Amino acid sequence: MSYSNDTHGKNYLNHERGIWSWLTTVDHKRIFLLYLFTVMFFFFVAGAFALLVRLELMTPGDSGVMSGLAGLFKSLGLQKLGSKSAPEMYNVAFTLHGAIMVFLFIVPGIPATMGNFLIPLMIGAKDVAFPRLNLLSWYIFIVGAVMALIALFNPVDTGWTFYTPYSAKTDANVILMVGAAFVMGFSSILTGLNFIVTIHKLRAPGMTWSRLPLFIWASYATAMIQVIATPVVGINLLLLIMERWMGIGIFDPSLGGDPVLFQHLFWFYSHPVVYIMILPAFGVIAEIIPVFSRKPIFGYKMVAASSFGIALVGFLVWAHHMFVAGISDFSAYYFSVATFFVAIPTAIKVFNWVSTMYKGSIRLDTPMLYAIGFVFIFMVAGTTGIYLATLAVDVFYHDTYFVVAHFHYTMQGGAVIGLIAALHFWFPKITGKMYNETAAKIGFCLVFFGFNMAFLPQFVLGMEGMPRRYFDYLPEFHSMHRASTVGAFVNGIGYSFALLNLLFAWMFGKVKAPRNPYESLSLEWQTESPPIHENFETIPVVTDWTYGYGVPVKGPSH
Amino acid sequence: MFRFLPEQASEFAPKIDNLHHLITDLSVFFTVLIFGAAVYFAIRYRRRDGVDHETPRIEGDHRLEILWTAIPTIICIFIAVPGVQIYHEMRNPPTNTLDIGVTGYQWAWKFEYPNGKTTVDEFTVPVNQPVRLIMRSTDVLHSFFIPVMRVKADVIPNRYTQIWFKPVKTGTFHSFCTEYCGKDHSAMLAKLNVVSEGEYERWINDWSADIKKSKISPAQVGFDVYNKNCTACHSIDGSPRVGPSLKGVFGHEVELVDGSKVIADENYIEESIRNPNAKVVKGFAPLMNSFQGLLSDEDIGYLVSFIREVDKFQTQSATPVAGSPAAQPAKDPASMTAEERGQTVYQTKLCIGCHSLDGSKVVGPSFKGLYGRTSKFADGSSAKVDDDYIKRSIAEPNAQVVEGFAPGMMPAMGSQLSSSDVEDLIAYLKTVK
Repeated sequence: MSYSNDTHGKNYLNHERGIWSWLTTVDHKRIFLLYLFTVMFFFFVAGAFALLVRLELMTPGDSGVMSGLAGLFKSLGLQKLGSKSAPEMYNVAFTLHGAIMVFLFIVPGIPATMGNFLIPLMIGAKDVAFPRLNLLSWYIFIVGAVMALIALFNPVDTGWTFYTPYSAKTDANVILMVGAAFVMGFSSILTGLNFIVTIHKLRAPGMTWSRLPLFIWASYATAMIQVIATPVVGINLLLLIMERWMGIGIFDPSLGGDPVLFQHLFWFYSHPVVYIMILPAFGVIAEIIPVFSRKPIFGYKMVAASSFGIALVGFLVWAHHMFVAGISDFSAYYFSVATFFVAIPTAIKVFNWVSTMYKGSIRLDTPMLYAIGFVFIFMVAGTTGIYLATLAVDVFYHDTYFVVAHFHYTMQGGAVIGLIAALHFWFPKITGKMYNETAAKIGFCLVFFGFNMAFLPQFVLGMEGMPRRYFDYLPEFHSMHRASTVGAFVNGIGYSFALLNLLFAWMFGKVKAPRNPYESLSLEWQTESPPIHENFETIPVVTDWTYGYGVPVKGPSH
Repeated sequence: MFRFLPEQASEFAPKIDNLHHLITDLSVFFTVLIFGAAVYFAIRYRRRDGVDHETPRIEGDHRLEILWTAIPTIICIFIAVPGVQIYHEMRNPPTNTLDIGVTGYQWAWKFEYPNGKTTVDEFTVPVNQPVRLIMRSTDVLHSFFIPVMRVKADVIPNRYTQIWFKPVKTGTFHSFCTEYCGKDHSAMLAKLNVVSEGEYERWINDWSADIKKSKISPAQVGFDVYNKNCTACHSIDGSPRVGPSLKGVFGHEVELVDGSKVIADENYIEESIRNPNAKVVKGFAPLMNSFQGLLSDEDIGYLVSFIREVDKFQTQSATPVAGSPAAQPAKDPASMTAEERGQTVYQTKLCIGCHSLDGSKVVGPSFKGLYGRTSKFADGSSAKVDDDYIKRSIAEPNAQVVEGFAPGMMPAMGSQLSSSDVEDLIAYLKTVK
C-alpha cells in the first residue's frame, strides 16, 4: 500500500513512521494503542496464572502443577521462585493472577484504552486537553509495570488485597509490588483529570451536555472516581511501605497498629475502583445496543444519571467487604443497607438497555451478541450481589467461592467482555479493516459458554461452603471444581480465538472498512476509518442528538 | 431451585436459608424475565434479509422509569431488613452460653474450655447448648467458619471477636479458616463434634488426651495473675479501692468520666489493661499505668477470662498483698499519728501498686530503706533522698528516674495528694526500714 504525501489517504497509523514516532506520540489514538497492547500483554500473563490455578484445582490434593511450575522457574535460574513448595507456589500464582489483572489490566483497561480512543472522537475534538500529560500517564504506567515485573523475582503471596499483618510479615517483595501499584495510581489520576477537562472544554460546537454519547457520561463518572479515590489507596500503600521499611506501627498489631484500619483504607479505594472497571463497560453497551437496534437509547437521562448514582453510592459502601472483619454492628447495618442502593441504578441501566431493543430492527452482529450476553452476565452479577449485601447471608458467603464467582461475573463478565465488545464494535474505526464475522461469532460463543461454565459452578461451590484461596479442598467439592476448570480453559481459548481473529484481520485483512459500516449517528463514525491524525477534516458542528434513530412517533412525546 | 447450602445444624440456620432462598427465587425470576425479554426482542425484532425495517423513535417513558426504580427499591427493603434482623440475633448471644476460647495461629486452632481442658484442631460441644467462641489470633488474620452453623468471624491479633450458635443436631462437622493466612491456609481445618449432653460430660471430664495434662482453668490462672498484680487497686468483692472493683463489671454497662457508656466486654477489659486511661470509669482518676509489656499476652488473656468469671471467685478470699488496705481494719484518722496517716496514704493513694515495703522490685523502686539513702539516676547523676527529693518525685516523677527503672511509668501525683498527705507520707517513709 502506498500513500501520496498529500494528507489525503494518511491516517493516524501511517501519519508518521518508526518506533520513535510511537514512543513520542501525543496522539490520543496512538496512546490508545500503546495502552491496548500493554494491558493485553498483562491480560494474557494474568490469564495464564488463572489457568495454572484452575489446573491445580482440577483435582483435590497436590496435583503437581505447582511443583512443576516451581521446577520450571528453578531451571530458568530463579532460585527464590524455584525453591517454593507447591502450596506456596499456588499462593503466588493466585496473587499474581489477581494483582496483575486488577492493577495492570482492568483498572487501566477500558478507561485508558477505549476512553483515550473514543472521548476526543465522540465529542468532536482534535485530541485530549493535555496530550503530553496523556503520554506521561502511559510512561508512569510503564514504570509501575516494570516495577511489578521486577517484583516477580520474589513475588508477593499476599493475595491482591495485601491484607496486614500478613503482608507486613511475609518475606516476599511486598514493597516493590505495592510501590508499583502506588506509581500506577498516578497514571490513573492523571488520565482521569485529563478526561474531565477534555469533556468540559473540548466539545465541538453543538455537542451540548444533553447530546453527549453515554460512553462519555460513563467515562466522566469513571474519571471522577479515579481522581477522588486513587489518592486514598496511594496513602494506604505508602503507609504499608513505611511499616515494612521503617517499622512504624500502623497496621501491624505487634507494633501497636490496627489491621482492620488497613482494610478500611484499602476498600475505600478498592470498592469505588470496581466502578472504574465496570462503568466504562456500561457505556460501551449503551453505545452498541441503540446502533444495532436502530432505536434511540431508552431513558437517556436515567442511563446517564445512573452512572453518577453508581459512582456516588460506590463511595459510601466500602465496608461491605468487612461484615465479618470485626466492625461494629451499627456500621454493618449501615453498610448493608447502603449497598442495596447500588442495585437500583444498576437495575435501571439493564431495564433501559433491554427496552431499547423493543420494536427495534435488531442486527445480530458480533458486538450486539456481546451486548446481549452482557445483559445475562450482569443480571447474574447484580443479583448475586444482593446475597452479599444481605448481612445474615453474607456472613455465610464471605470469603467463599460465591464471592469469587460474583466478582468474576462483574469484573470479567462485565469489564473484560465489555472491552472485547468495544474492540469488535470500534475495530473498523481503529484499524480501517473489517474482521471475519463468522470467526468473531465463534469466538463469542466460546467466550460466553466458557465463562459461564467456569463461574456458574463456583456459585455452587460457594453455596456448599468452599472457602476461597485454597490450595487443597475436601473431596465433596471435586466435581464442581473440575467443571469450573474445563470452563476456564474454554473461556481462555475463546478470548485467544476472538482476539487473534481481530489481530489477523488487522494484519492480513483484505476488506477495507467504510467510514460508518454500522450506520451510527455518533461523531467518531463520521470521519475516515482509520481517522486522520487530526481526527476530523474540519471541526464538526453537531445539530442532533447522538441517538436520533427511528421514525418520530405520533402522539404525546416523552 | 439452586438449593445447595449445607445441612442446617444451628438454630438460626433455617432463618438464614429461608431468606437466602427468597433471594434465589427472586433472582432467578428476574434474570429469566429480563434476559428472556432481551432474547425475545432479539428474535422477534431481528432484521430480516439484511434490510432494516422501520423503527419508532421511542426515547423513554417516565411511568416505566418510575416503576422500575420503585420495584427494585421495595424488593431491596424486604431483603435488607430481615438480613439485618437475623444478623442482630447472630451477633447477640444469650447469657447462658458455653464459652470456649479459640486461638488461631499459623496453621492450627486451639480450643480452651472453662475447666482448662485444651484441644487442638478439634472441639466438642453439647447439642442444644448455646456455644460462644471467643477468638483471638497470635499472628496474622484468620477467620473461623462453620458452614453447617452458618457462622463466621475474622480472628484478629489485637482484639477479641466472637461467634455463637446453638447446635440442634449431633454429628461431626468441619470448620474452615476463611481468611487467607499463608502456606497451609487450606489445611487449617478443625473438626466440630456435636454430641449429647451426657457424652459431653464424659468428654469434658476425660483428661487422658488433654495436651496440657493440667486441670487448671484459664480463669484460675487469671486469678493468680490478679493476685500478683491487681489487688492493690481492684477488689473483687465490690468494695472500691483506688480503681473500680471487678465484681459484676463484665458484660455490664460502665459509665465513663466523659459521660459516655460502654459495655465491659473482652475488648474493653483488654484495652483497660493495655491502655488504662483510654476509657476511665466515672468517679475514678486516670492513675493506672499500662500493663502492656509487663504482663505477657497470655497472662492478659487469662486475666480477661478471670474477670469474665470473677463471680465464681467471690467465695475464695483474695490473698491481699501485705499491708494492703484490705488487710487492716480502718482507724479513726483523728487519733492517728503522722506516720499512721502516711501509711494510709501509701495504701490508699496508689503507691502500694508499684512500690514495695520489703525491698522487692515491682514497677518502681521499693520504699524499704529509701529515706536517707543516695539514689543513682539513669543519667548517671545521683541525689540523697530527703524531703525535697520525695516531694519532687511525687510532683514530677519522670524528671529523674532511678537507674534500672522505666521512665514514664509513674503519673504525677500532685492532684491526688494534698501537701499534708505528702508530709504524712514522708513521715511514714522515714519509718520504713
